[in-house]
Formats: sequence, C-alpha cells, structure tokens
Amino acid sequence: MIEAAPFPVRPDSVRPADLLGPYDGIVLDADTDRPIAGATVAAAWAFESGIGFHAPAGAHEFVTETGADGRYVVPKLADLPGGASMRVRRFTLIVYHRGHIAWRSDRLFPGREARRDFSQRGSRVRLERWQSALRHAEHVVFLGGGARVRTVAAWELQAAALELEGQQVPAAAAGAGEASAPAAATTAVPLDIAKLLSDDEIRGVTGYVGKFEDGKLADLPTTEFYDSRHFKAAGKAESYDVGLRVWRLGTAAAEVQFRKLMSTLPEAKTTDEVGDASFRARSGGIAALVYLVRERGVVVSMTCGGSQCTEPGQLVKLAKLVESRLPELPPETSRAEPAAKPEETP
Amino acid sequence: MKLTRVAAVAALGLVAHASVARAYDPATTHAGLTERAALASQLHRVLARALSRPLGLFEPVALSLDDLPRPQAQSLEARLAALDPSAGASVGPDGVAPALAWVIAGSVIASTPAERGQDYFYDPARGSGLSNSGGVASLGNTLGLLLDAGGGFRALFTGTQFNMTGRPSTEWLRSPENDVGLDAFHAGLEAAIVADRPQHRATALARALLALGGVLTILEDAGEPAHVRNDFRQTYLTPRGPSPFDRGSPFERYVSETYGRMGVPVVVTPVRRPTVTAFITAADGQGLADRTQRRFFSDGSLPDDAVVDRGTTAVEVMQDARGSLPYAYPRLPRLELKVMGKKYYARTKDKRRLLAYVRVPGRVRFFLDEGVYADTARTLLPEIAGYGAGLIDHLFRAEIRIDTTGEGALVSAVGAAGNIRKGEIRVFAEDASGLRRALTTVQPGSAGVRITVPAGTKKLGAVLRGEDDAGDFVAVGEAPVK
Repeated sequence: MIEAAPFPVRPDSVRPADLLGPYDGIVLDADTDRPIAGATVAAAWAFESGIGFHAPAGAHEFVTETGADGRYVVPKLADLPGGASMRVRRFTLIVYHRGHIAWRSDRLFPGREARRDFSQRGSRVRLERWQSALRHAEHVVFLGGGARVRTVAAWELQAAALELEGQQVPAAAAGAGEASAPAAATTAVPLDIAKLLSDDEIRGVTGYVGKFEDGKLADLPTTEFYDSRHFKAAGKAESYDVGLRVWRLGTAAAEVQFRKLMSTLPEAKTTDEVGDASFRARSGGIAALVYLVRERGVVVSMTCGGSQCTEPGQLVKLAKLVESRLPELPPETSRAEPAAKPEETP
Repeated sequence: MKLTRVAAVAALGLVAHASVARAYDPATTHAGLTERAALASQLHRVLARALSRPLGLFEPVALSLDDLPRPQAQSLEARLAALDPSAGASVGPDGVAPALAWVIAGSVIASTPAERGQDYFYDPARGSGLSNSGGVASLGNTLGLLLDAGGGFRALFTGTQFNMTGRPSTEWLRSPENDVGLDAFHAGLEAAIVADRPQHRATALARALLALGGVLTILEDAGEPAHVRNDFRQTYLTPRGPSPFDRGSPFERYVSETYGRMGVPVVVTPVRRPTVTAFITAADGQGLADRTQRRFFSDGSLPDDAVVDRGTTAVEVMQDARGSLPYAYPRLPRLELKVMGKKYYARTKDKRRLLAYVRVPGRVRFFLDEGVYADTARTLLPEIAGYGAGLIDHLFRAEIRIDTTGEGALVSAVGAAGNIRKGEIRVFAEDASGLRRALTTVQPGSAGVRITVPAGTKKLGAVLRGEDDAGDFVAVGEAPVK
C-alpha cells in the first residue's frame, strides 16, 4: 500500500504526488531569489506495517547536495518493501544550509505550522536567512534528519546546549516539576577580543622589533561565541606570526570545545600550564597552547611561529597575559536583552 | 553498527509478521510527545551537570552493540534500523546519536516487536490490562472481522500469540522482560556511572535513555482513550478502506496527520506526582489514565444506538444510552433530538465536544468525528506531555553532589523525596585514561561525607540505587577533580 501524498505533483497542480517520487526542485535564497549551491538535501521514505496498530517497519534515506544552479534531484524509490500490511507511509524532504533556516517539506520553522508549498516536481525551496532572535535549540530539534544532516548541523549544538542551559531552573532552587522559564532571545552581539593582546605586549615578551599587521584569522567568522586575532608580521614569513582564538561558550560547551581541539590538533600533549586545563600542539614550525577557563566558560588557543616564539616559555607568557585580561571581555548580558534587528549568523 | 544491512533484514522480517500494537502513532505522535516532554524537563541539566555530558540533550552518545549480549544486540539493532531518519531519532552507522534522539528512539521502539502492544493498555476502573471479554456483541464483531479478513487473528495480525489480552501497562512498566522499561532505565543509569570503561558507560547511558523513552511511551498511552477503556476491537480493527489490511484507530490517525511529530503543543507544564505509578493511576484520580478514562470516550466505548419510536422521549433515550455505557464516566449530557438527520454534539461544561450523535429513522446513533477528535487532541496532548516531563523530573529527582576541594571531596545525596531508606553511595575514581575504579562507599545524607581523593584521579563518579518516600530511584553525579 502506498499512502496518498499530502502534497501535489507540481506547484500549479492539484493532482496528488506519487509518494515514491522522483522528486526535483531548486533551492533559493528567499531574500535574493538566487540559487544556493551546496545545500544538503535529505529525502526519506518511511515504511510502516500492521493492521489495526501500525509500527515503523523501515526507512530509506537519500542524501545529496544542490549543484551550482541550486537544483536537486531525488530518484524514484526503487526497492519497495513487500508484505500484505506494508505501506509507504511518508516522504519527507529536509534542506539544510548554514546561515539559513532549515526547511522541511512537512512543517515550517519556527511556528511549526503545516507546510503547504511543497510539490513533488519543480518545488521551489526558498530558504529564509537565519535571524538572531531564533533559537538553535528549537532549530536543531525541528531539523531532524539522519547522520549526514546531523553532521552538517553539528556546529549549532553548542549554541543549542547553551540556550537550554540558560533556560533551566536548577532543581535544588526551584524544585523539580516547575515549568521552565521562557527562553531569552539571543542578540548575536559579536565577541570582541581586541583588548586581550596588543602588538607591544607581544614584542615585550618575544623581543621582536618588527611591525604587525593586525587582523582576524580567516578560517572561522566572528560570532557571539568566537573571535580571533591574527598578528601578521609585516614582510616576514608565517613563522613570525602570532594567532589568538577565543571561544566563549559557557561552562558545558567550553569543555566540549576544549576536548574537541585536543583530539583534533596535531601532536597534542597535556601540559596544564595555564587555566584549569591546557595542552600544547605543534604543526610544522607553529606551536599552539590551548587552555580552558572553566569558570568563564572560555577556551583560548594561542599560536606562535617558531621564529617569533623562540622559547617555550614565551608562549606561556603570552597565554597567561591573555588569561589575565579575560575579565575585561564584555559581559554576556546581550543574551538576555530583547532581540535587536535580525542579523545573520554563520 | 551495520544499520543499513539490518534495515533490510528488519523490513523483511516485519513483512512476514505484520505488527500489532502501539497506540498513538509511534513515529509521529509518541516521538513528538516524548520530545516535548524531554525539552520541558530537567533532563538537559541532569545530563550536562550530573553526568558530565556538556551538550546535555544534544550530546552525542555512542551505543556499542558489542557491549550487549548477542540476541539483545540483534533485536535492538533491527528495531533501531526501522526508524525514520527525518524524525531525528535515527542512529548513525557508528552507533552515535544525540541524547535526545535516544530518548525519542526509545519511545518509538517501545512497541516493537509486535506482541508488546498488548501490554500497553490499562483500565483504571478495573485495574486490568487489555481484556478479551467483550460479550456477544464483541464476539460478533470478532467473527465478522475474521470472515472479513479471511483468516485467523493470530496469523493475520501478528504471527504471534496475541489473543487480545495483555498485562496492565503498570505491570509491563516494571517487568524485567521489558528492555525499555523502568528496570532497564535504572540498570542503565547505574551502569553509566559504574562501568569501568568510557565506551561501556556510554552504551549504558544510551540504554538508559532508550528505556526512559520506553517508560514515557507507557505513560503517553495512558492518555489515549481507547487504551484506558479496554477498547481494542472497535477502535483498532475498524476498516479504514477497501483493503482488509487497512485498519487502525481513526483518532490516532487524525492526531498523527494533524500534528505530526512537530505539531504537538510546545508549551508544556511538568506535572508533579508522588510516585511513578501515580503518574498513570492513583487513588486521588489524578493519574493520566484516571483522568483520560473519565473525561473521554473512545470509538468502541460509546453508548449503544438508542431505539426511538413515536412515543420515545429524550429522557428515555438518554437513560437507555447511559445504561449501555461500559464506564460510569464521562456522563452523557442532555441530548437534543428534535431534528431528524442533523448532527449534534454533546459537550462538556467547558464546551469541549465529547461525542457526536444523530437521530436517524428508528434510532439515535452515537459516534466520534473529527470535531471530537480535534477537541480531544487539543485537550489531551499538552496534558500528556506535561505528565511526561513531570515523570522525567521525578525519575531524576535525586542527585549525588560532589564538591571537590583540594585533595578531598564532599559527597552528598540531594533531592530525594523524604528519607532515603535503602542504598549507599558508591564512589568511583576515574584516571586520565578514563578507566574507573571503585573508590569507597558512603552513607547517603544531605550533609555530605568527606572522602580522600587519590593522586592521579581526574574525575569522580558516584551512584546511589536506593529508595525514598517516592519509591525506587537511581541518583548519579560526576565531577572533575581540579
């Protein structure tokens, strides 16, 4: 048995779709109407069996990415399960692209109303830009999806956990069974670590006499949780550069980030020189000292080229200097403030 | 886990043995209710603080099937492989899923294999589970269905020994056979602290979360009218289409299609009850099954059609209808019978549509329609999720607090309901490699007991399997050693 599809075959048709597919469409930015390339598209068919009562009896998932033209194609479900009471119960399409609100063929975010604009063929999937007033916790739960979808959305987990953490009333204080307080909106005021370390302070520690061109490390964008500084030695090789990254994530997520860095950075060795826990890592001529400050929920990564930091102790001095300045970071009060104008986050 | 392979195997297996059992649709309604309950509860905080899982509900937790006995691993693998990935409760090929996904997965797989569904009924008026005793009318219905379907129930519905009877769900909740029941939850939570290696502890935690989902499913079914009104035949075996195989509860179908997983109410207020069982049934009548049974009809527990002739009064029709009711509540309010062929609704005092009825030549027919289903779902779903959230908080009511200071630590049990009557706190020391060894045992108390922490200890874990005024509980706590 194949259930009747709750959506039409085409946007301009009233004829019900074939639940088995094939499906195709285009993913667009809702603001610009331009195609979005590289969006993750996950299609899933759910099977059920049973007479009277019905139970999940399997699923088939197909995951792809949109091409440069924003288009996706999901082939027709080829292998139908057999059995007298077996039925193809549902088809769900999930589209995910970082910086945009996740899109599901069955429901809308954040209101969770039923979606009415999905069709089997020629569907126009218009992705709304992410807005800072939205909550990652609700977004991750809304998204659903299998392992592939979870992987591309993994970057949201820390923010999601933080949101839930802020929402919880400690049992000891409020007593179990009380309703949770409503969540505070996030305002996405970017983290700014400019005051944590200066050119002169680096020179004071390493004895370097040249100039630095200050900027940000380009691999990760600044967010409300992360910021970086790149002290690029003017006219010199990379081995004279100094890098600083700071994640302010809250106690729980900072632990995770610290562990993640420790498991991914090359040649990581625990040293416990700075903060509550620290380790050193090395890649080529660049040394890194990463440390965790639990009380502040902060992870700091200090990197220094071998030509700049000629002694291991210099890296520790720089790291400790930054640690002493952490109280100067702007407070996280922005998370409790009402939402400012919508702003895209990565 | 080789879930892809198993998915195919599972599908084939289920084709051969069409499933019976479940109440609210597992993949949508149960998943959604469980998800809402978990988010409204303190579970995130417990995972993040007491179990050192910083991402809480979003923390990836790995279940290694190699840690389980083979038959159990095979059964679990097949059931997990059948889950719809779009619901976010599926497990990756590496056995990893977020903590929240494990809870939702547990609520979905709680009803598999098929024969389990018979144990998800509880009739609080009789204190019994699903019962086959239905009188002549039910026998006629049964025979009709047998003929209709062209075979015997057992072969047709399950391939199992389902005889339309079952244990009360309150019994199944605590049954050792239930691998996602209360025993499994307590055992998994305890092992999540006690097991020596990180992998074993993660597997134990995943199993505890699965069992938590299973426990929630039993509770959620106590909020399904047919499940608390001993109504299997009429509700679940009514044909829905031309195919003899197309049968199911119209109410559950309505809820599944209207709300899906994500449409279940977002605002959930956790309910407090004194014991686990009291969430389902209690003498004060405030268990979910108690409240559901006395406030809602199911398709198979409506008044019988009332005979109407020229001299019949509305009062007589009402008396006849009331006399035919299998349960004292809900009461049938005053009926309006003036207009032949017009559909009326009997409503509660707060205007909720309780049932529909229509006068046709010679009788009055009572039935439930989508208007009644809509009001029923609107009332029941938030309540079910609230009971679910409350149950989670109840199960995690106690916690072991570990305050590390210098070379020692202060260990105390907090949050228990009244006095802790049984059990002792077992404390474990974890080294840099994650290996955990028993360190000491201390008597539970909120004042705390100071212990010495051996050199090289990176983390302390503690567990108390005890009993307080609210019944059995497992309290856990972990803390890094500075």
